[in-house]
Amino acid sequence: MSLTSVPTYLVRSDALDTLSGKPIGKLRARLTRGENDFPFTVLDTHDEHLRRRGICLVQSGSDLLLWPAAHGPITQNVGKDAVGFVTDLPDGPIRQALGVVPELRSLLPMAQGRMQQVLLALVDTEEKTRARAEFHVLTAQEGSAAIVQPQALRGYDGAYTQLIATLGECGAKTLTEASVIAALNPDHRPYVAKPDLELDAKTTAYDAATEIIKAYLAVARRNEAGIIADTDIEFLHDYRIALRKIRSVLSLFKGVYKDKQTLALKQQFSDLMALTGRLRDLDVYLQDRQFFFDLLPESLHAGLDQMFQMFAEERTAQLATLAAHLQSPAYEAEITALINRFDTCRKLRPGPEGERNAQTYAAKLIWKRYRKICRIAEAIDDQTEDEMVHELRIQCKKLRYLMEFFAPAFPKTTFKSLLKPLKKLQDNLGLFNDYSVQQDSLAAFLDSLGTKDHDRNMQLAQSVGALIAVLHQRQREERLKVVDSFAIFNSTETQQTFRDLFHGGKS
Amino acid sequence: MKIIACYSNKGGVGKTATAVNLAYALAAKGQRTLLCDLDPQGASSFYFRVKPSKKLTETKFFEDVERFTKAIRASDYDGLDILPANMTFRDFDVFLSRMRNSRSRLKKALKAVKGDYDVILLDCPPNISTLSENVFSAADGIVVPVIPTTLSQRTYVQLEQFFQANKLPLKKLHAFFSMTQGVKSLHGQTMEEMRKQHKKRFLKTQIAFTSDIERMGVQRAPVMATAPRSQAAQTYGTLHDELMERL
Repeated sequence: MSLTSVPTYLVRSDALDTLSGKPIGKLRARLTRGENDFPFTVLDTHDEHLRRRGICLVQSGSDLLLWPAAHGPITQNVGKDAVGFVTDLPDGPIRQALGVVPELRSLLPMAQGRMQQVLLALVDTEEKTRARAEFHVLTAQEGSAAIVQPQALRGYDGAYTQLIATLGECGAKTLTEASVIAALNPDHRPYVAKPDLELDAKTTAYDAATEIIKAYLAVARRNEAGIIADTDIEFLHDYRIALRKIRSVLSLFKGVYKDKQTLALKQQFSDLMALTGRLRDLDVYLQDRQFFFDLLPESLHAGLDQMFQMFAEERTAQLATLAAHLQSPAYEAEITALINRFDTCRKLRPGPEGERNAQTYAAKLIWKRYRKICRIAEAIDDQTEDEMVHELRIQCKKLRYLMEFFAPAFPKTTFKSLLKPLKKLQDNLGLFNDYSVQQDSLAAFLDSLGTKDHDRNMQLAQSVGALIAVLHQRQREERLKVVDSFAIFNSTETQQTFRDLFHGGKS
Repeated sequence: MKIIACYSNKGGVGKTATAVNLAYALAAKGQRTLLCDLDPQGASSFYFRVKPSKKLTETKFFEDVERFTKAIRASDYDGLDILPANMTFRDFDVFLSRMRNSRSRLKKALKAVKGDYDVILLDCPPNISTLSENVFSAADGIVVPVIPTTLSQRTYVQLEQFFQANKLPLKKLHAFFSMTQGVKSLHGQTMEEMRKQHKKRFLKTQIAFTSDIERMGVQRAPVMATAPRSQAAQTYGTLHDELMERL
């Protein structure tokens, strides 16, 4: 009977040859190899959500296997179909264990090969097993590794300690420290949606801007395949954020590049983004389908059904257009040229601020933006025009991007203490904006209906009209929270921290 | 939690083989099982290759929760642990009552290491002693292997008499015929007689004398593990099912 749960390890597959028959203290290692090997696929989300939490999920035939687990892997039969979203899995222990996966993210094959099970027993002179480990040896084309689940046996603590020490000598690491995906494919580079900028005391503003843009161009590229394959909607979302961040760098880092070049680049990135806007809106509508249905009484659901059907059709068309664009030679040429330009810094002349020290430049930008936000917020009360609230939202977003770009240059915990309340304020402003944008886009949708099919349009108009009214109400509710939200964000502590970090402690 | 004792007041009747295979069958059916080796002449621990702990002495053993839990050893089979004490226990009744009492320190200590058990199986020594008396009153059922010979018949009657004299409920006794040999007509006669005399006390299942069971001493493992398809293994499986139905 095993004791409480123990960690799962990853070890080189040749460790088994080292262990075979080896004396370990007064014990001997005995290996029993499974007769067959089976195909396997390691599954994870694009951003390796499972791996980052020390979880390894493997599909073999119609079974899913998951580590870590107290005894062997957790298993669940899921049939022969390809595994995608966790919410589509049949109920069972694996689905429960995968509750950590964000519901918008689909599972993807990350590595493939053949898998063999090997049992290791440490036996004493009586041939009694004193500790056990179950190995799943994964062999892919480019690499191999074994997942090891040691098992302590009651009354034999010493043998277990020896087992763990021996595994350690073989280079075993826990699944939280090691990546199965990287072990099977040494060329694999994990996807990071928010890459950290490497800053040192000598980094110039020009270098910092160029590094950030390079990093986010790479992020954008890593999302193209997932958009084209329509794996999940987060690919497009991340792609857009990457482009938006690049555009923010170009507009926020004033004078880092020559004005003319900055202007042209800004336009270029805006154009790239423009092709994605409608698809993203439709993704959000379709994702939040239930939310919209819940907003209206059942008598108006028929119209919503029609609207969503039209949205789904429009999405298919939009996706086809975007996928064609992303696969076009013209796009390939454009994005390659952009990457080359920022890689080689050719035709990328520094502007008047380019040579400034990045850190002091960042502090100046952040302080300036923060002061601007305070000025706008001070003028806002319950009677102020919505325009001002929109402006506050945009400025908060810019501040957030600036702070995230330069986060590595500032003390981590203090920085976090600023970002957390800022995020909360942005949630409030974001909802206010979403409701507002949706009212406009729904109104535009109504306008586009035309005059044909009068009956259908009447039903649609009733539902969409009602939806606009409800969204308007929601927007008012969010609007009323803004003054309080800002006050919570801009506490005395926040004010002091901003002064300390970005303005040398002065007000 | 159930406490089942394997007992015979006569040696060499296949008691330990029964305890070992019953324990294996219980664990295989998902019951977390602790097999206590109480018979100094028995060999439950030997069959599971577990070395008796040298550190244990009889004195106040069962008052010492930590030492007790530390003495338990995992077998090579999932869900089956062994207490390889291999000695006589004066305070055994204290131990059993603590195993039952969910508030006792012993029970809590076991729970803390996820080592609580569904069944405790006792391989008892073959004499009627204070220990046996404790076991008889604490156990939910007492499994008694009986070789169908005249001598065994007499010792079984003695056991029933002991139960009556000590006001112990007879229905706790679950006897079965062990080491039966089809060729011996006397075996058949004795079984028929005893089934009549001790109605309801005998299980239907009987374990035949086979070389598979004898070989357990060489294999040092339950026959149900080494030869699961053998007749012996299958009959032990049936014995387990019938017994669990009665308990």
